[in-house]
Amino acid sequence: MKNNIKVQRAIHDFTQADLATKIGVSRQTINAMEKNKYVPSTVLALKLAKLFKVNVEEIFQLEGNE
Amino acid sequence: MNTHYLLPNKYKIIGWFLFIPGLILGLLSFFENVDDDTITIPVLSIFYEEFMGSSPRELFAIITTGILSEIIAVMIIIGGLLIALSKEKIEDEFTSKLRSDSFVWAMIVNYIILLLATLFIYDMTFFTVLIFNMFTPIIFFIIRYNFLKLKSNSDEE
Repeated sequence: MKNNIKVQRAIHDFTQADLATKIGVSRQTINAMEKNKYVPSTVLALKLAKLFKVNVEEIFQLEGNE
Repeated sequence: MNTHYLLPNKYKIIGWFLFIPGLILGLLSFFENVDDDTITIPVLSIFYEEFMGSSPRELFAIITTGILSEIIAVMIIIGGLLIALSKEKIEDEFTSKLRSDSFVWAMIVNYIILLLATLFIYDMTFFTVLIFNMFTPIIFFIIRYNFLKLKSNSDEE
């Protein structure tokens, strides 16, 4: 699964730390997601979508053979 | 997430203060052959059978024995559990995942090593392996968990 959290974050002009505080996780969690090292839970994905005011699919997309 | 079994973050530091001195004392008493009878008190033994002795088995007996190794083991186990089961400063689903992944890793690595030791180490040396094996699961966990945490800290944007 890939995501464009970094792009969304740039649009809203948030740092990783800003975003982490807003959705109540650590900055490492944001970093791990942006590096595709961690797939967030549905709850966290929905929180991100709500914050960025977009659909979840606009942030997270399946890749190739998933 | 499902972190209701975790203790508050402040217990982690208490854990380290028990765990590290426990490990140091443990290694010292092992390599320097410190006598377990350095501290001797009467204790309750639920099931007591004298080693190579002729006296009959006793249930719930009060015996007087050295307790240095017990103190060391309790320090390592309680300290290790406090470290493993205390929340991070910011506890979230990612730290939960690192924690559970590390538990699985420690369990697998521990049994692989124990299996190899069973096959290739014999007699009293194997008894030494068993003593170390009392503590290796929690030690492997702590090493793995902190390694993963450091790694996620270090590869910045």
